[in-house]
Amino acid sequence: MKSLPRFFSRIQNLLAVAIIVLYIFVAIAAPRLAPPQDPENPSPFRVASVATTTSRHIPLPPAPDLPLGTTPGRLDVFYTLVWGTRSALRFGLTVALTTACVGIAIGAVSAYIGGPVNRLTLRITDTFLTFPVIAGAALFRLVLYPVDQQVSMTPIQSLLSSLGMEPVMLTLILFSWMPYARMVNAEIAKLKQVAYVQAARSVGAGHLRLILRHLLPNAISPAVVLVGRDIGGMVILQAAFTFIGIGGGSPWGYLLAVGRDWIIGPSASLLKYWWVYLPVTLALIFFGIGWNLLADGLNSALNPHRSHQRLW
Amino acid sequence: MPPTLKFVIRRLLAIPLTLLVITIVLYGIVMLAPIEARVSLYEPRGGKSRNPEALRQHIIKEYGLNDPYPIQYARWAFRLLQGDWGWSPLLRTDVLEALVTRTPATVELTLYSVLLLVPLGLASGVVAGWRPGRPADHGFRLIAFVATSIPPFILGLMLLGIFYVGLQWFPPGRIDIADSFVVTSPSFNTITGLLTIDGLLNGRLDITLNAFRHLALPAITLSLAHWATLGRVTRAAIIEERTKEYITAARGRGLPRQTVVWRHALRNAMIPGLNSTALSAASLIMGVFVVEIVFGFPGVSELATLSWVYTPDAAAAMGFAIYSVLLVLPLMFVFDVIQGIVDPRIREGIAER
Repeated sequence: MKSLPRFFSRIQNLLAVAIIVLYIFVAIAAPRLAPPQDPENPSPFRVASVATTTSRHIPLPPAPDLPLGTTPGRLDVFYTLVWGTRSALRFGLTVALTTACVGIAIGAVSAYIGGPVNRLTLRITDTFLTFPVIAGAALFRLVLYPVDQQVSMTPIQSLLSSLGMEPVMLTLILFSWMPYARMVNAEIAKLKQVAYVQAARSVGAGHLRLILRHLLPNAISPAVVLVGRDIGGMVILQAAFTFIGIGGGSPWGYLLAVGRDWIIGPSASLLKYWWVYLPVTLALIFFGIGWNLLADGLNSALNPHRSHQRLW
Repeated sequence: MPPTLKFVIRRLLAIPLTLLVITIVLYGIVMLAPIEARVSLYEPRGGKSRNPEALRQHIIKEYGLNDPYPIQYARWAFRLLQGDWGWSPLLRTDVLEALVTRTPATVELTLYSVLLLVPLGLASGVVAGWRPGRPADHGFRLIAFVATSIPPFILGLMLLGIFYVGLQWFPPGRIDIADSFVVTSPSFNTITGLLTIDGLLNGRLDITLNAFRHLALPAITLSLAHWATLGRVTRAAIIEERTKEYITAARGRGLPRQTVVWRHALRNAMIPGLNSTALSAASLIMGVFVVEIVFGFPGVSELATLSWVYTPDAAAAMGFAIYSVLLVLPLMFVFDVIQGIVDPRIREGIAER
């Protein structure tokens, strides 16, 4: 593990790790930082109860017991900031890892089989690349939620809802596996010809063993980098979807949606009502930056020959 | 047949194939829903029935919704080809008609964003990559880093907050209300549907300028992240190209540096960038939709927003999904063809991309 000290010798990698550790810390310490009303089943939102005569619709400025004020409708910004971290990490990790597994499995198996099967798989992969994720969300809502309550759920629907899959999550997984499949596919197609794989095959290694033991470990590093980048990217997409009203359940995105009129509405002022948007915005941006920098550092550590392609 | 034409035709033939696969997948997704949800895809023209249950049974029988998937799919796909994309009860119009009338706004926004981001992306990548480590390179990397770090919807919000609410320079929407009456009046000939061009064709420069004022912020928001990505890829490619022997040879023969950089090196270095832009065409179109919604730009995405505000409007959601692929494909096609024109190896199908 000579690469570990080298990884930490770069200041941006240290910064990336520091940012991510901070988010993880906030996520773990959420019940301490912002005690929920119902510790068993914490909601990511809390309505601040303050004795004041101002209208409910006017955001309250920061005060000692409300460190970052409230949005219109009295949602506690600090509270959602803290609990949103937990939700963001969970969402990002789930979606990115599931997507990666799906993509890697498809790419690896199809490259291993090779020939016309692989060509067909690659064609279908390219087809999926033409589908904008946003268009899937509305359709999936149709599939996941029964039109009215009397209608019983199909087996698939009950399976998805028991897994806690909501439409945006499912859409993101179903329509972002393609880069993983393409990457792993290209690597394995190259590796298949290399002597050590041929040697393993000639001593009788099985298909599964060849793929898992000999091919994947050497083909997976570009995918690892992409996972890092996707964790941030998926959370930002989720927040964007929640903000524009498709759902997705991002507490941060919801906060921005609630505060929207005070950011760009008729009586808005970016300077006067900064707490409505700035904390959440920064949390989102730094979440993205942290994972991007980490992915970048991993890239130069795992694929040194491509280091000139790094972001920073 | 000239190879370029052959290449273009081959790329064109891939389009129906893609649509086939996408529609098979989409209808497959709908098949997972209970039959009651599928019925709303076949909502009859005109709206509410007094007896919804009878209507539902009628639709199930009429369209054979209990048939096996392939038969249902084939029937549905045939209706799509005939232009019958269903009826949206929320919009109270045909879905296809609603999509088509909103297309020019989306196309206009996409067009200007691409025209902004591709030349700028290539140029800044070349300038930064030709002399890596110089101030221009550091400057580019810093700006590109910031540009990719800010999510587009937040950038859009901030730009609106500053330039619309604060400074009142650039308004949201597609055109000022006063001008919108001019545009919809009978004396104004709608030729292309693109307001910037129609304004010029009708001799109304003020309309063109007004449309540009409304386009500026969304186009910038949309371009920024993609510009940075394109610039980065081009920069990496130029760094690889500039030490190659043909560059040294060209310089050695005494060609001016500008010629070598912009004619020889760029020609090879633009391929990876164009390829990555082509592959991210779907995310560009998705960005268009997000930006449209944030800026209240009345494009195709209106169908989507409407279909998820209230109860799911199946026909609108489905129409939107298919139509968005129809918007991505031409964009991809253009980038593919440019690649084929620039690089004969791609055109001849020798280079694996």
